[in-house]
Amino acid sequence: MTWYRIAALARKDAAELLRNPGAILPAILMVFASLFPAFLVIVVTPRLIGERLEESEFSEQAANAAASLPELAGLAGDGLVQAYMFHQFSVLLLLVPIVGAMALATHAVIGEKQAKALEPILATPITTIELLVAKTLAPFLFALALSWTAVLLYLLGAWLFGEPGVWQAVAGGRLVVMFVVVGPLVELAALLLSVIVSSRASDPRSAQQISALLILPVTAVFIAQLMGALILSVAMLLAAALGALLINLGLLAVGVQVFHRETILTRWT
Amino acid sequence: MLPPRRGSGAQLVAERLTRSFGDRIAVDDVSLSVGAGEIVALLGPNGAGKTTTMRMLAGLILPGGGRIAINGVEVTRATAGQARHAIGLLTEAPGLWERLPVRLNLLTYAKLQGVRGPAARVETLLRRLHLADRADDTAGTLSKGLKQRVAIARALLHEPQVVLLDEPTSGLDPASARQMRDLIAELRSEGRAILVSTHNLGEAEELSDRIAILKTRLLACDSAAALRNAAGVSRVIVEVQGSREPLDIPIKDLSEVPAIVARLVAEGRGIIRVTPDQRSLEQVYLDLVGAEP
Repeated sequence: MTWYRIAALARKDAAELLRNPGAILPAILMVFASLFPAFLVIVVTPRLIGERLEESEFSEQAANAAASLPELAGLAGDGLVQAYMFHQFSVLLLLVPIVGAMALATHAVIGEKQAKALEPILATPITTIELLVAKTLAPFLFALALSWTAVLLYLLGAWLFGEPGVWQAVAGGRLVVMFVVVGPLVELAALLLSVIVSSRASDPRSAQQISALLILPVTAVFIAQLMGALILSVAMLLAAALGALLINLGLLAVGVQVFHRETILTRWT
Repeated sequence: MLPPRRGSGAQLVAERLTRSFGDRIAVDDVSLSVGAGEIVALLGPNGAGKTTTMRMLAGLILPGGGRIAINGVEVTRATAGQARHAIGLLTEAPGLWERLPVRLNLLTYAKLQGVRGPAARVETLLRRLHLADRADDTAGTLSKGLKQRVAIARALLHEPQVVLLDEPTSGLDPASARQMRDLIAELRSEGRAILVSTHNLGEAEELSDRIAILKTRLLACDSAAALRNAAGVSRVIVEVQGSREPLDIPIKDLSEVPAIVARLVAEGRGIIRVTPDQRSLEQVYLDLVGAEP
């Protein structure tokens, strides 16, 4: 594998993405969309209705969770409930790398198809595995940067609007595992699935609709958390990471098959 | 296999190429060679296997049977990357990245081809193809003719000795098509081996040293003059005294001409001029392509 070829194509993809608002806007909007529910529920609503969080239905859930979430120890009253809520809503931020990867990868692949640029690329010495890596690299890094930006904004919000000690409780090992291990793996799965679907689709939106299936598990986990039925521990997150890794291996095997030079030339174009 | 006519030897050799897609045979037993400083035009109807042949020669897809050698190196799965580096391919559609500037389009390909000093090479080609003043414009703002020029520049970035051009003048206005043909002739004068796929018979005749007619199989490959000669004459034009319109008499062979002249003389006609008329390249092409199922 020759990295300068991969880097050349990935840099080109990055330059194209930056000039394509239709591709990057959904990814950027997702950052704000993922932050909005948490701050609406934790910050805005209590102020609007004049009710403290410790008086809400979440207070009991937070007290129960404190036993299994050591980072909540030392917090009480509103601070405890806020930290608990920020914990529970943080899973929504996983939608940023998923939606970002899907939006960017489908454009990176389908854009080449629509421009009829795949044949000239394949006429260079680039190998198909280099092409697969190059096509996923720019969207991967871009979506990863967006997801980490979302996490930083989330923590900034917790620091600005939360009680003392809340943001430190949120910025623990659990968040690190979620966005340094699980996030990139889920993002990679979204990327690979998008690339595979894009090989058959002719426009980015239809590819994104199928790839959006990945949003369902994250949404299900979020709803279960909100109902108090689930508290994601570090062990659970590591298990999810292992599952995502296995899914990635399966998708990679399919992706390598899809990225055969002849398949691209005879079926994609 | 037909030998190349010009240059020091065949740069591109294809022997008994065959390729199928499922049950459909796209290319069957095609042998072809192009020498240094030679242009061979590849003619054939739609679906004749021209693009498949081009793709096999460019190392994009491997043949099902037969062999290809480029600059003496046989193309195999292991050497396909090397072959792609040795060949410059102009695809049927320019396939430029329309949101990006021309310079960045070319620079990316220069890096993909592993060109040393890619920026300098890009500037050289921009100047050579009179694109320097449009280098910072996005490719999407260029006319079809300019896009085709950028695509040609892309095919020449790595200085290939073998150049494959898939319908280089398709969709171009007459002036742009003329510029493209001049450029192709220039590439020949540099000693490159050039294979041009085209539907334009006049262009093929004007530009190429030999014409290969393909319809799944290679039906003929020779110079335009030789193809016409081999097809024979189809009629004789006789100008006679007292008639403003010449006589147009169909014949199958030149040997019929003396008998025709003798008959006209016997009829008392004063013969001014007798001109055997060769078949046009179009007639030759249609006869060959039409005769094949």
